[in-house]
Parts: sequence; structure tokens; C-alpha cells
Amino acid sequence: MNTNLKISNVTKIYPGCVANDNVSLEFNSGKIYALLGENGAGKSTLVKILSGVIIPDEGKIYLNENNLKLNSPLDAKKNDIGMVFQHFNLFETLSVFENLIIDSDQQRESLREKIESIMRKYNFSIDLDIPVLNLSAGQKQKVEIIRCLIRSPKVLIMDEPTSVLTEQETSELFLSLKKFSEEGILIIYITHKLKEVMQLCDEVAVMRRGKLVSVSQIKNENLESLATKMVGQNLKTIKKKKANTASDQLIKITNLNFISEDPFETNLSNINFSVNRGECLGIAGISGNGQSELFQVLSGEILSDKNSIEFNKNYIGDLNPQERREYMVAFSPEDRLEQAAVPQMKIFENVALNNFKSSNFFNNGLINEKKIRKHSKKIISDFNVNTDNIDLKSQFLSGGNLQKLIMGRELITSPDLLICFNPTWGLDVGAINYIHETLVNINEQNKSIILISTDTDELLKLSDKISVIHKGKLSKIMNADEVTSEKLGILMGGGN
Amino acid sequence: MIKIVKRDQPSRAIFFLTPILAIFLTLVAGGIIFYILGFKPFEALKFFFIVPIADKYGFSELLLKATPLCLIAIGLSFCFKSNNWNIGAEGQLTFGAIVSGGVALLFYEQEGFYILPVVILAGAIGGMLYASIPAILKTYFNTNEILVSLMLVYVSKLILDYLVVGPWSNPEGFNFPETRQFSDSAKLPLLFEGLRIHAGIFLALAAVVISWFVFYKTYLGFQMKVSGFSLKTAKYAGYKGKKMIILVFLISGACAGLAGVGEITGPIGQLHREISPDYGFTAIIVAFLGRLHPVGIIFASLVVAITYLGAETAQIFMQIPKYTGQVFQGMILFFLLASDYLLFFKFKFIGSKK
Repeated sequence: MNTNLKISNVTKIYPGCVANDNVSLEFNSGKIYALLGENGAGKSTLVKILSGVIIPDEGKIYLNENNLKLNSPLDAKKNDIGMVFQHFNLFETLSVFENLIIDSDQQRESLREKIESIMRKYNFSIDLDIPVLNLSAGQKQKVEIIRCLIRSPKVLIMDEPTSVLTEQETSELFLSLKKFSEEGILIIYITHKLKEVMQLCDEVAVMRRGKLVSVSQIKNENLESLATKMVGQNLKTIKKKKANTASDQLIKITNLNFISEDPFETNLSNINFSVNRGECLGIAGISGNGQSELFQVLSGEILSDKNSIEFNKNYIGDLNPQERREYMVAFSPEDRLEQAAVPQMKIFENVALNNFKSSNFFNNGLINEKKIRKHSKKIISDFNVNTDNIDLKSQFLSGGNLQKLIMGRELITSPDLLICFNPTWGLDVGAINYIHETLVNINEQNKSIILISTDTDELLKLSDKISVIHKGKLSKIMNADEVTSEKLGILMGGGN
Repeated sequence: MIKIVKRDQPSRAIFFLTPILAIFLTLVAGGIIFYILGFKPFEALKFFFIVPIADKYGFSELLLKATPLCLIAIGLSFCFKSNNWNIGAEGQLTFGAIVSGGVALLFYEQEGFYILPVVILAGAIGGMLYASIPAILKTYFNTNEILVSLMLVYVSKLILDYLVVGPWSNPEGFNFPETRQFSDSAKLPLLFEGLRIHAGIFLALAAVVISWFVFYKTYLGFQMKVSGFSLKTAKYAGYKGKKMIILVFLISGACAGLAGVGEITGPIGQLHREISPDYGFTAIIVAFLGRLHPVGIIFASLVVAITYLGAETAQIFMQIPKYTGQVFQGMILFFLLASDYLLFFKFKFIGSKK
């Protein structure tokens, strides 16, 4: 039976922002629909309305001509709308089976049979009796999907499902989604990754600033046309020049180890690599494989053996971040809001977090506010931070602007090496483009970058050399033009 | 209908208004308690909060009680601002008093301008020494400073007990648990004839000014602020975390130690068993009621000091146990924490929808 889902004139207004502005859309089963948009475009709000998490201010939703009243997620479930969120809602310590039956009132035995038949049908192999915490991200997502399938949904909504998956897991997911679609389940796929839309979907709806911009057939679109629709302007294409292969070595890591006392951290074992001047070394990997620990060891938040890090002919392994900065190394951590900046503090105060002796922010233990303010003004103008008020608390900056501020703070002193960890995580295409451009510029000035990132496309675009981190170990270092995303994916999954 | 809505950002006005709201709610709840106990609420509250400070003597007593509270709370705010939970100020006060009392006893029956500064310094050093224990254990052995600093309070009280009944007890004191009277040169001068308020208040005021300067004008203050918001950021910025932990504990211990000096070298002039009616614990309430801001702490220490006085008046005139004072202190903290909810949420009145 055909399923028809209709969103009619939906509006949702938050204080200071219209999240959904009179959005109308129609979906039919048998097709996979993409809902594409930048962060803050309103796509999450729209799917939360469909799944009953948010109640719209105006507008109606029809499923097969029936007007649905979705006041809670339970209503959505009752009406056969299933949703897999970006962040998993699973109980880590309960078994897979317990997680699956937790919201069901059916008999355990018959459910088990049903789950097993679903798994057979779609070729999922997960042990039902092990705790969820032993599963990989891809398997956890399958558990979430099975939980929806138990209810034989008419509609399945996937919210940015690939952000935690490897390439292989992603292609498996796509195969499953295609199969569901063939069986008549209506699939709505939310993403800001253009490539995935092109690979998977049949139709695409693009949202921008709460409004529906366009609905079109994938066959009439290409990456550029979609990007332009999503951002609303033409993006410059970034071209990276090849690094000069004959340049000097800048940093050399030798036999670096880290053994953590914290069971939730990853140990690093025998890390060796070097980076030349003007080069960008990309470090790929699925999050949680030791990237955060590697970043901290490189930044000096975790101290290591003095001789394990040689920078510009100095041994700096036992220096803390502030001391390392004096050698002209800069750091941009992954977590903008909890580490790289303090959202409750003003912009100029956040600038003062990066304190060189020569910057004279603090003289004889006193704050030199005038100096910091002057410096902050320069950063926000040089790095296009979209504000002119340095007394603004940084929590009011968008992710992109905050990242620009952090990058600016780190780069304004023109360091010899920038170590950055997921610098574009969660940013919109415009901001990503700006950050990428900045990174390419650094290399062009013969300065070096260590780019730890979970975004394979980003790594392939910006790196000269690439290595993959898996369970705290680095793979051999490869030239970027010799690797493909498939090869990286295999290494990221622990293969060879 | 009333709806609770999350605020986009914590309100700064509310930040300073909630302490006042908390005090108001405490008064209301206190009135109800008095009513249930069979007193006229307004009259009882008057005895509690107005009668004690209605005359010159009462006002001097208010300042006398507020002085140690303010001093300790200022010290504690160094710790609390930087995410260090020193709750053992009572112990640091006691130990500071022991050390300064010991020095004062050394100068027994001696006179000289140099004695008082030495005695004061000894108190500060005593407090710092005692505060350094949880600080060092925390930095080098990863212990929990809350537990260690709290437990050390009881240790210090037992040491004091031992000293005043044992080796340091007054040889002519008929076995009363107290030491000899200090010489006049070892005592903080009284400010007015017939009133008990003493020069210790200047120590507290100096602490207020210095702390304000440190918090808002120095690199140390900036580092404390960053560490208070996020230890991860402090680490990333490269601040020397261990050094700072020890420093703030030392500052906090010095302030508590000085409060101890004020208690024994003020009007009393000797060491005895009960040198502090839990000023060290009450000062935690003062620090938070004052929002860890030096000026806020001045007002908070005055408000909380009244509960000490009020409890005494209430005991005398209404035969209510003086522990009622602690009930009021507890209620202030309770209502303060409860009204902090308003920092992040607001009530929205909305008309019933059609």
C-alpha cells in the first residue's frame, strides 16, 4: 500500500528566530527523500515536528489523508512514524534485546522471533544478548533501526545518520535503506552532506533559514547546484597546491606512548611521524580511537617524555601548552564550547586564553585589558568574525564565528605549526569553506599543519600526507594523492 | 496558565536579585515556623532581626560577628571561584587560632608593639599550613578536598581541646578548659570604649579590597575565573593547575586563620574550647549568598550575622533555643539554591488558549 505524508503550512517560531516558515512538503513511499540544509536551516525542527517531539505553532500533517495530532513521540510511534536520531537513545548497560523490547508491550518470546526474522531479512548480524556498550557505532544504529522496524513503520526518518559511521558502515546503511524503500517504507533522510544525497536519494528538499528553498529530482542536480541552493551563494572552490617536498623537517614524534588511568580513554602506543615545513599531515579515524588523547599529547595538556617530541630542533615533550606556544605552536581543540573557549566569558577575555610572553596581555601579574582589547579587535577584523563588539559573550557567536575567533586567536601570531582537531565539526558550508581556505593559506606561507579530523573529505582535500589512527595506533603515513576514501575507510575500521 | 520556560541566557539582574529573594522567603518561612510554635510571627521576627541591632551595642555586636564571616567567606571565594571545594575553613580557623594563641602565650606578660603583628602573622601561617594539607593531598594524590578538609575540622578541634585542658591550660585556672589571658600587646585593640568591636574589622575590609583587586585585575584572578568555568580550558591554556590549587587553598587558609586570630585576640583574649560558633561553616553560606563577589560578601556577612544575634535574643526573650539561628542559616541557603532555578528558567504567564 502506498504511503503519502503531507506537511502543510507548518510554522514554528522560537524567540528571535523562525525555525520553520510556512513549510509545505509532500512525500510518497517508494522513494528516498533528502532533507538538506546547513546547521540551523530548520530541518531538525521539521523532523522533530514529524516525530512529535516539537509541536508546531501552525500547520497540519497528513498521513494518507488523515490529519495527525502529534503531541508526543508516542503519538508518532502509534501513527507508524519511526525516527532514528543522530545521538543514540540506548541503555549502554542493558543487552541489545532488552533495549529492543523496552518500549513494547508484546510478549518477549514472540518479539524475539520477530526481531530475529527482521535481522535475517536485512542481513543484520548482532548478538542480541550482549550489552549495548560492546557494540560499534554502526551496530548501535542498527539496533535503533530494528527498534523502529519492530513496529512496521510506514515512515522512517533518519537524522544525520552517517556522522559516526565508517565508509563501509555507511554503504551498508545505504543498502538497507534502499531495501526498506523498495518494501514500501517512506524514507526521509536528513543531512548536510551533499555527496550522500547524490548517492542515496531520489528527491531532495533544500531548506535555508527556516524556509523551503527548492524541491527537485536528484537526476537534475549536481554537487555544485545543491551546494549553491543550500548556502544561497556561489562558493569559491579551494585548490590546494602541492607542498614543496624538499623542505626541512619541523616536528618529529618518536616512540610516543600514553597509558591512561581512565578506562574511557584510549591508550596511544608507539606513535612515530614527522611533518615538514609547509606540509599538512592529516590524521583520519573514527572518533574515539585516540584522536583526543593524541591531540592532548601534542598540545601538552598531557605531558610525555621530553625527547618524544622534537620541534624545530628543541625537545618539547615535557612542556605544557603555554610553554609550547612560545616555540610557535598553536592549537585548536575539537570542543569549541568546553575547551577552546569559555562561552560565558567575553570575546576579548577568550582572546586572552592564548597568552604569549611577547603579547604582553599580563604585565607583572596584572591584566593589560587595553592591549587585549586592541588585539581582539584585530582578530575579529582579520578573520571575519561577524561582530564588532568584543564585549559580547562568546556564547552568542555562531559556531562558525566562534571557530573563526579561535582560529584567529591561534593564528594571528603566525605560528610555525597549527595542530587542529575537527576544526569544521558542526559548521555550515560557508564557515567550513572559510576555515579550509585559511588552512590552505597557512601551508602556502610555508607553515605546517597537523589536522586530526573525522571528516574524510576534509582530510583528502587539505592534506599532503595522511595517516589513520585506529585503537591508539597510527597506520603508515601515505601520500594523500595515493589514497582514496575507500582505502581510508578500511584502515579506519581496523583493516589493512 | 503559568509555563516554565528556559532562559536564553542566565539573567544578570536575577543573579543579584535571587539572594534578596532568598532572604525574603526565609523571613516568610521563619514567620510561619514561629506561628506554628505559637508565637506572633511579626513580633518574633522583630525580636530576631530588629531588636538585636537596634542600639549601639547591638550594632557593634553585629560587626563583631560579621567580621570573621566576611573574612572567611572572602578566602573561600578564592577557592570556590576556581572550582576548589574547601569546606574546612572551620578547621583552618581553629588551627590558625591555636598557632597564634601559642605565640601569644609565648609573649605572656611581655609588652611591645611588635607582639601583635607576630601573633597575627602566626595565625595566618597556621591557617595556611592547615589548608595546605587538603591542597597537597589533592594535587599530588588525587584525594577529594571536600572530604579531607571537612575531616580535618574535627582533628583541629580535638587538638585545641587537648591543648586547653592539657599542656596550655591556665596553671591558676582551677582546671577550667582555657589558657592564660594574653598580654595587652598581643590583643587586637578595641575600637570604642565599652563596645566589643575590635581592629579585626580592618583585616576583613582589607581582604575585601585585595580580593576585589585580585579577582578582577590580575592574571591570577583571570586564571581562577577560567578554571572555575572549565578546568579543560584552563589546562588547554596551559595554566599551572597544581600551583593554583595550592595558592587558593593557602589564601583561603590564611583568611580563616586571621578570623581565628580575631576571635581569640579580640575581646576574649585567651584560647578556650569554643572559639567559633561554626563561623567556618556558616561562611560557606555567606560566600554563596554574596555570589562570591567581595561587595556581595560584605552584605551577606551582615545578614547572616544577624541570625547569630537574633538567635541569642530569641533565646533570652522568647525561650526559643538559640539553634533557631542555624535553622535560619539553613533556610537562607536552601532558598538561595532553590531560587537559583530562576537564573536559568523563567515563569511565563500565558492566557488560556482557545
